[in-house]
Amino acid sequence: MIINVYTLIMLFVAFLSLFLGGFLFYAALKTFLDFEPTIPSETKSKLEQKGYLIFLLACVILSVRMLAWPWFYFMLQSFVSEVPGAMCIFGVTQILPATVTFLQIIKPVSFFMMGGWLLCYYVDKSTPTAPLTRMNLFFLLIVCSILLADSIADIYYVLRMKPLMSVSCCATFFDVPLRPSAMIPQAIFGRHFQKMLFIMYYLTNIALIVLLFATLSKKWPLLAPLPRKIILYGQAAIGIINIPVVIYAFIENIAPRLMQLPYHHCIYCLIGNGLVPDAPIMLGLFVMGTFAIGWMGILRLFCMVTETQMVTERLLVKVNNLSAFCLLASIAMVTIHLILT
Amino acid sequence: MTKNFWIGLIIILIIALAGVSYQKFWKNPRCAYDGSAIPLIYEVDIVLKDQSTRKFCSVFCATQWYKNNTHLIDHVVVTDEIRGVKIDSYMAYFVESELITNETNDNRIHVFQQRQDALTHAEKFHGAMTDDPFTLDE
Repeated sequence: MIINVYTLIMLFVAFLSLFLGGFLFYAALKTFLDFEPTIPSETKSKLEQKGYLIFLLACVILSVRMLAWPWFYFMLQSFVSEVPGAMCIFGVTQILPATVTFLQIIKPVSFFMMGGWLLCYYVDKSTPTAPLTRMNLFFLLIVCSILLADSIADIYYVLRMKPLMSVSCCATFFDVPLRPSAMIPQAIFGRHFQKMLFIMYYLTNIALIVLLFATLSKKWPLLAPLPRKIILYGQAAIGIINIPVVIYAFIENIAPRLMQLPYHHCIYCLIGNGLVPDAPIMLGLFVMGTFAIGWMGILRLFCMVTETQMVTERLLVKVNNLSAFCLLASIAMVTIHLILT
Repeated sequence: MTKNFWIGLIIILIIALAGVSYQKFWKNPRCAYDGSAIPLIYEVDIVLKDQSTRKFCSVFCATQWYKNNTHLIDHVVVTDEIRGVKIDSYMAYFVESELITNETNDNRIHVFQQRQDALTHAEKFHGAMTDDPFTLDE
């Protein structure tokens, strides 16, 4: 185990969320199984207090746990100097590769799910009759399962991480001609895939921002249901397509240009080595913008019951605003760097 | 769009401009191939035909860049790792040995100004003299 401030905080958060998350899972499961839509008034107050405590505990744990995602990358960056041969986070990921891959996948998934749950809970809490309580309890069970898996993997990784082996440089993976980030787009777009990726990056992002602003316009409530549905499904579809497009465009085009290293495609060097100090903000804004589209989907799917419709619609406007802002800010930052660097 | 939206956007634009300024004016020179820090004793400078210079952290990185840009290059300056003196690559002696200069790319090519230093290093670290990697194959 490597001991530094990052690993100690990570361990503390992981143990805390493991114990509290375990208790939360048990309490949520018990409440979910005992849940009845109509209950006698003498037990109502007791159940309300219990439910309130469960949800309060969930809010605290999930909020803390969401911060574990960026913290994980701070921790990996702190290991770079400890691992022989590592030049960036990529080198660190060569030690316990299966666990790191699992963590790199589960962390965004848990961030997304926790964010979705917090929004659903906000809607339910803002309504006097709390009509979504049962659904929120069920959703909380799923979120708790992910949280527990994430915490256990964090603890396992931090305790087992030993920089005993020498690792290879990121250039041996990201800069070889047969790298996956080049082969997949090449198979789709042909030889001039880098140019096409760059065009696609701007096209999909601009289309997404336009669709997000369309739902914010004053004419939106006056639109017929069919065009509204087309715009909303369009947002979701382009939002999903935009994820691989942005990832490949960053690796193949944007990262080398921003780092001023035309042959170096390492995304970890872009975010961690300080070559482009604001790169984590660019990528963070993209992640928030994309996740916000997914959160809007969750809200529309689960929280559009009669009692909560007004609250949900108000919240949807806010999340839509957040998504449009984050995507616009991300693309603006990239453009400024590309023009001025 | 609310006032906060525009304020946020302006803050983001200021951050981006600050990032660009840092890259242009304050950042220390990094290896032009992989972006790592450059140890002075192993520095390789490739001078281009327009008289601009690209700096590299090791012979390995410099040769990788060199292979892709031969038409742009005027000459290559390497650093004698005994004295830290900068010399033209065609005047230097190169030794490939078991001693690694840069663990991230496993560079084993060492540069010396004097032949005796090169021979001593080769003997000590089980290496052998090698050709100048910065010459074009005929």
